[in-house]
Amino acid sequence: MKGKPNCGSISRLVSILSQALEDCAEQKKKLEYNLTLCRALLGDWKVQTPESPKPENSPKGDQESEPSPKELEDLELLNRALEKALRVRKSTPRNPLEALGAAEGKKAAEKKPATSAVRTQQAPLSKESVPKTIKVTSVCKKAASSKKLSAYMLKAPYRTDPVKAPTSQSSRAPKVAGKSSTKGAALQQARKTVLTASVSQQEFCAAAEPSGSPRSPLQQSSSSFGGSASGENSVAVILQGVDPENDCPGSLAKSPVTQSHTAGDIPMGSITARTFTLQEKRSLLKLPLPYRKAYSRNSRLWEKCHLCQSSSATAAARSRFLERMQATFCSSAPAFSPAEIEEEMIVLRDAHSLLSQYMEAETTGHPTWEREYECLLTLEGLQDAASQCLHKLQLLRAAAESQMVVHPADCVHSVEPSAADCAPIRGRRCGDTGVLATPLLFYSSFQELRDMAALKLQVVMLHQQIDIQKVLIAELLPILESWLPRDDSPSHLYRAVYTQLCEGGERFPVLMNDELPD
Amino acid sequence: QARRHQRAAACGMWPGRAGALPAAIGALCRALPPGSRPAPETFRLAKFNRPEAVRAGEWHLLPSKNHLANQPMSISVQGRILFVKSVLRYHGYGRPEFYQLPSDGSQGSRELLLAFSWLLNRINLLEQLLTANRVKIGDEASVCTCEDNLSNSWKDRTEIALERPLKRDVDVRYLQWLNGRLRFKWRSLHVDRQEQCKLLHKIHSYTSGCHMDQTIGHFSVTETDLIRQPDSYKQLLQLLESETSRLEAFLEWKQLEPVYCLTVFFSLQVKSRERTLPDEREFCAAVRTITEAVKLKLSDLKYHCAHKKNGMHGSYRLVFKDKRSVISKLQMEEATLKRELKRLQEECRHKLDEIAEGLVGVICIPPIKR
Repeated sequence: MKGKPNCGSISRLVSILSQALEDCAEQKKKLEYNLTLCRALLGDWKVQTPESPKPENSPKGDQESEPSPKELEDLELLNRALEKALRVRKSTPRNPLEALGAAEGKKAAEKKPATSAVRTQQAPLSKESVPKTIKVTSVCKKAASSKKLSAYMLKAPYRTDPVKAPTSQSSRAPKVAGKSSTKGAALQQARKTVLTASVSQQEFCAAAEPSGSPRSPLQQSSSSFGGSASGENSVAVILQGVDPENDCPGSLAKSPVTQSHTAGDIPMGSITARTFTLQEKRSLLKLPLPYRKAYSRNSRLWEKCHLCQSSSATAAARSRFLERMQATFCSSAPAFSPAEIEEEMIVLRDAHSLLSQYMEAETTGHPTWEREYECLLTLEGLQDAASQCLHKLQLLRAAAESQMVVHPADCVHSVEPSAADCAPIRGRRCGDTGVLATPLLFYSSFQELRDMAALKLQVVMLHQQIDIQKVLIAELLPILESWLPRDDSPSHLYRAVYTQLCEGGERFPVLMNDELPD
Repeated sequence: QARRHQRAAACGMWPGRAGALPAAIGALCRALPPGSRPAPETFRLAKFNRPEAVRAGEWHLLPSKNHLANQPMSISVQGRILFVKSVLRYHGYGRPEFYQLPSDGSQGSRELLLAFSWLLNRINLLEQLLTANRVKIGDEASVCTCEDNLSNSWKDRTEIALERPLKRDVDVRYLQWLNGRLRFKWRSLHVDRQEQCKLLHKIHSYTSGCHMDQTIGHFSVTETDLIRQPDSYKQLLQLLESETSRLEAFLEWKQLEPVYCLTVFFSLQVKSRERTLPDEREFCAAVRTITEAVKLKLSDLKYHCAHKKNGMHGSYRLVFKDKRSVISKLQMEEATLKRELKRLQEECRHKLDEIAEGLVGVICIPPIKR
């Protein structure tokens, strides 16, 4: 069809573009994965024990398991500790910490869970308590709105009402039962939490006593909320029909605050239970103990390794060894190894861009003679530097050529690692920020992070655009030039090529028929 | 016999004495990544040039560089051997005996040992492997465009594509379409990336003050998720712990390194260039001189390193803190690249204007410059 521009086989262009598209898609996929995770983290966190959809408050007869005697014992201990805490609390009523601690302890201690006692207690602590009764909700709301400990303190302190067959918990049982694999884990965690809750509660009280300093009530409440909620949760789990296991309390040490995150927040009137958000939880989270331990060991060792310098004896032994080895090498070896050539090339490339920058700076106007003289001297210095670089370049080229001579087989073997293959090895450059140092990149504001990301993307894209442009030039221009002699109008082709080459595909030139009145 | 005596004497000089060498080799093996960890026995066999060492897969040892190169391990022994040889050639290893080793992997364990030891020293192989395989628990970001420079890798791939030219002619509009799609993809990537920044920043600021490491202060996405779903990250913990033990092994190795070096050193028996091995006193004196020379050399090197360090490379852990900005370098780079692209486009414009003049009966009006 006339005017349908054909380009011949410009396979390279197409493959470059297709490849670029693929790479973009890949990047996007990775990014999306990360985004999903981030959104999940910023959204509601579901506690591990599943939510109970049913409204509780109706006692269930079918409690699937009885708490084991061991657990009863533990809870008894907890109760006692909490009583003590309560006494302490009563003695210093203004101290929100203690109150919270007591509250937390109470919650944890409440083994017969869910009963109204727990629920009520939980109310001020708010959050997603297990039981989502309307009662609870309203209490929650109340507590939430007041947001003060005082509201809580007015509530009756912990009770040990007999269990009203925790409806919520048992209703959750089937769900938990479904997850056989997590059953044990959940119970284990629950147990630990129950036990640790008492410990932490005691610590709380201990801490509360000496320190009369008021901390932000919200914070405090939150942390205790966490503890209590977890306690409550754990208790709930125990009663959920998971067979109580006889964990040794020693496991307590393992993850004392694993469940801390399960603690909810003060849901501002939220009716959904058992979820909370990172925003609300904020700075109360703690990493699980095994991870913390592993992390600190790990970073300490990295630090040590980074600082560990070879003793002079080692350095001596090493250089002696290298020299000895060198002595056994072929004497005809070229001056630079390929690795060194590449490194030096990078230095030269950087030097080149540096020189260009300096050059540009000097091309600005020279109003005064001082300025002009300065410019002259600078240019002379640049010229010196440039000739040094050129000389180096010649040396490198000679070395590269002799490399080819010495190892001609390299050119033949397809197994020869290309520069790209060796890049990560040679990419010492890219790993060079002090080998074994812990590389941290700080940013100080959201704007900065965004700008950095945008710039980085822009730079990568520009690199790609320039490469594509070069290929475009190489492939499209010849086609256009070879069209000239032909007569069928190449205008469409011309427009297309013009657009791509000169305007980055964004704007078009206008072609007008030149109709001269003859 | 005399050689053994001297070796023993030399070993005696260094801390550790008799058990030092096996300990050194043990530490070395434990410091290597799990995938390419030889049995310590292999070293002993290799010293005596036993073929079992080679068969035991000593060639696996050197392909530990595969870890660095992110290369899939070549299946065939021959392929692997060729690869290893070319890597050593790349770094300037020049022992002819090594390159003359047969490609079937039947012999040469001693030469391999020498080559490995040389590389260990020359490029700090252990440090590189440790750094390259570092467990990543932070939010990674990089400022340089080296590793993920798309053009690098896809340029190579398109070189391959050239060998398979398109069978049919291509409509230029297809090119335009491809280009347009690419631009669109970049824009959508940009949007996604910006959103990621927003979310990251939120997570970072919400978790400020929680991290046990004061320098960092807040959690990364991985760490936050670790709290949310601890069970999903058991493997991470294991990786962390295995890395920790490798680091410990590395520290041990650092203490015992001279023992290893000397042992290999003494095992170097080159017939044509054999010299008498120095006696102990001579050796000490030589060591002292060398120490001084090395000090001098290193001070020179420090200066050179200062010059080489031009910018920030590699992958970093992103940390939100009130500190300095790294944007200016990126901005400069962006400006430079923009200029270059414009320059290229200008050149094209000139050329196309020339062509336009050759067109019959048509006037070309370029688009309005914005």
